[in-house]
Amino acid sequence: MLQLDGLVRHFDGVRAVDEVSFSVERGTVLGFIGPNGAGKTTTMRILATLDTPQRGDARIGGYSVLENPEEVRRITGFMPDYAGVYANTTVIEYLDFFARAYDLRGEARRRAVENIIEFMGIGDLRDRNVESLSKGLKQRIALGRAIVHDPQVLILDEPAANLDPRARIEFRTLIRELAADGKTILLSSHILTELAEMCDTVTVIEKGRILATGTVQDVLEGVRRRRILSVRVAGPTDGVERFLLEQPGVLNIHEAGGRVQFEFGGGDDDQVSLVGRLVSAGFPLLEFSAHSAGLEDLFIEITEGRVQ
Amino acid sequence: MSRFRALVDWLANTSDWLSPLVVKEVRQAVRGRELHYSFGLCLVVGLAVAFFGTADALTGNGTSGRWTFGALIGCLTFLGLVVVPLGTFGALRNERLEQTLELITLTALSPRRVVIGKLLAQDVKLATLFAGLAPFIAMSFLLGGIDFGTILLWLPVLFLWSMWACAACLFLSSLFTKRVMSGAVLGGVAIVMFLFLLVFGLPRVIFLLMSRGAFAGGTVFSFGVGAGSWWGLAIATTAGLATMANLVLLAENRLSLPTEDRVTALRVGFLGQFLLITAWTLSFLNEPANVKWSAGQALGVLGGLHLAVVAMFTVTEDLVVPRRVLLRMRAPSPYGRLLAIFRPGGGHGAIYVLAQMALFLAAMWSLQPTSVSFRWSLAVCGYICLFTGLPAAVFRFMRPARAASFQLRVAVLVLLSISLVLPDVLFYVLWQPAVFDLRYAGRHLLNPVRTLTNWAVVETNHSFAIPLAAGLAGLLAYLALIHLGMRMTVQPDPIEPLGSASAAVEPGSANISY
Repeated sequence: MLQLDGLVRHFDGVRAVDEVSFSVERGTVLGFIGPNGAGKTTTMRILATLDTPQRGDARIGGYSVLENPEEVRRITGFMPDYAGVYANTTVIEYLDFFARAYDLRGEARRRAVENIIEFMGIGDLRDRNVESLSKGLKQRIALGRAIVHDPQVLILDEPAANLDPRARIEFRTLIRELAADGKTILLSSHILTELAEMCDTVTVIEKGRILATGTVQDVLEGVRRRRILSVRVAGPTDGVERFLLEQPGVLNIHEAGGRVQFEFGGGDDDQVSLVGRLVSAGFPLLEFSAHSAGLEDLFIEITEGRVQ
Repeated sequence: MSRFRALVDWLANTSDWLSPLVVKEVRQAVRGRELHYSFGLCLVVGLAVAFFGTADALTGNGTSGRWTFGALIGCLTFLGLVVVPLGTFGALRNERLEQTLELITLTALSPRRVVIGKLLAQDVKLATLFAGLAPFIAMSFLLGGIDFGTILLWLPVLFLWSMWACAACLFLSSLFTKRVMSGAVLGGVAIVMFLFLLVFGLPRVIFLLMSRGAFAGGTVFSFGVGAGSWWGLAIATTAGLATMANLVLLAENRLSLPTEDRVTALRVGFLGQFLLITAWTLSFLNEPANVKWSAGQALGVLGGLHLAVVAMFTVTEDLVVPRRVLLRMRAPSPYGRLLAIFRPGGGHGAIYVLAQMALFLAAMWSLQPTSVSFRWSLAVCGYICLFTGLPAAVFRFMRPARAASFQLRVAVLVLLSISLVLPDVLFYVLWQPAVFDLRYAGRHLLNPVRTLTNWAVVETNHSFAIPLAAGLAGLLAYLALIHLGMRMTVQPDPIEPLGSASAAVEPGSANISY
């Protein structure tokens, strides 16, 4: 459904997007991860036909963003990282305007607007002034605007930014429903825990280059090769630290909040063996825990100094 | 209730035929303060004028309608030339500042449809205000002293120029995206409009109100009934419509994405404007020789200024065109070569200006078929080529791929300014004459304004070779730009190496023909 092939975009000698290639299947939610200035927004703007690549091309639903921008706009909904609302305009008028702007006429337009209002659950807001709504509701209306023409592909740039936890949960539910409806969704976010719950696949980008791409599970597996373990003992921790230093597969030991934390390169059996050795050595073990790696660990792991 | 619902549905379906922008803007206007206050002002002024007009009519002079109509037109002029255009400026400004324009760009609405929609929405506002005053204007006719024809003539003319002012404000509003600059322009526009109204409008209205019919209606309000007056009105209307269309195209150019073809429509529009100027002057071909000569002079000034402004903006365009545009240019078309002059890029721009210069020279020869006049026309074109082509060609030879159209335009203006003062400055610094002599002399040959306005002296001194040589240099610069433009578009992959300060460049095509 969405195919990027060697996209290149430079600004004044700075590579914003450098040979970016990946693809997204229909009905999939892809999370686009990267620090500020990594090239996420530039890539998304190219996909939304607001910018053109200097090399390479991207195809959405088979249409090239270079050669068929009008067709791409017809099947794509883009939600930038700002709400973009009008003064003196009610919710229903706002959605109606964008439905008209997408050339929906008569009954089709009315049905599209009513469907959006129902899907978004904003029936009681239809006559409220858009400008007076909270950030979360504005974001919801913005999503409604992006899908008012029933696009096959949705491109969402930082959709959950500035939302409170409740609004985030609601937003996440909407995204999952849209994906279940067969829409292909590409979304970027800094809130990585949100992405882990929303996305089927993730793509990590830094300095314009793709560093990793795949399902959340596959990419996390790569990080889990080195798990983070934590030990708490009764009394001073110096002895434990010295002991751990001598153990195979143990790296980066440090104390944090009365616990000794370290990275461990072994598997499950090695971990069981390590616990046994600690107990055998006579340490008064109060707590032993393994910290499961998430997208944040992945982000730190992958982006840290890999691209110069 | 069901009938009301049916009416609402019918109106909603009918509004499908309108621009979405019109529907949105009208809805916003109905809830906004601007229209309410303007309409209120209309009614208050209308009632006040009606009251005093009726009181005046009781004296039985039968001419009260004249000054009441003047007062009502004064009110409409204020609303149509100041209030509504400023509202137009604000509407587009907000659209850009709130970034909603980008959201519209993603829809099926093209920038041109957006600008036209905005303009039509202002027309709805204007029509509402005109309608608000319509009963009072009808009353002024009944009071006597003003004929129906004058009323019928004034209202459309005022409406047209109000639309023109709105189009101008749309263009000005599209110039800047920064809040500060946009605010400064808004303030500037408001001051200019106020001064314009103060100088040309308000004194007349105030005088009319005070004199209450001292003017004869025929001389103040009507254009008369002579063929010349109608011809003048037709020319003014055509000029108004043509420039309004170009203001819309200019605004479209500013609002379009940099990745799109932003110049082709503009080039067609400005060629149309040039053809209108030429056609107007050529309409005097069958007139006596002195009239023809004056028409030639008008063409020389108007056409020359038009060419100079157009050349400054087209020849300095970047040579590299956006990749998406390039792909469209490559698409086979039976009119490919003919359309080449309208295509974007500085190289195409040079061809576009040269084609218009050829038309200009031919028209000038038709109106003033003398060698002196033809040399003057050649000098006009030569100076335009020199001042616009030379800096562009020199820069493009050094950095052909760099995006620097704005800097080049500034360079052209600086170069022109220098040429206006430098000859005199150098003369007085180097020779230090005792008398401050500003009379035209040989040193002024580099100053295009003085040379062209003193062409008789140039001819007498037989020094026309210098401006013509300068023109030849300019022509060579244009040819070089055309050549460079062709070279740039055939490069397969001109992305500059990272770390260079230059702007990014789109890859070209090998199939571009001029």
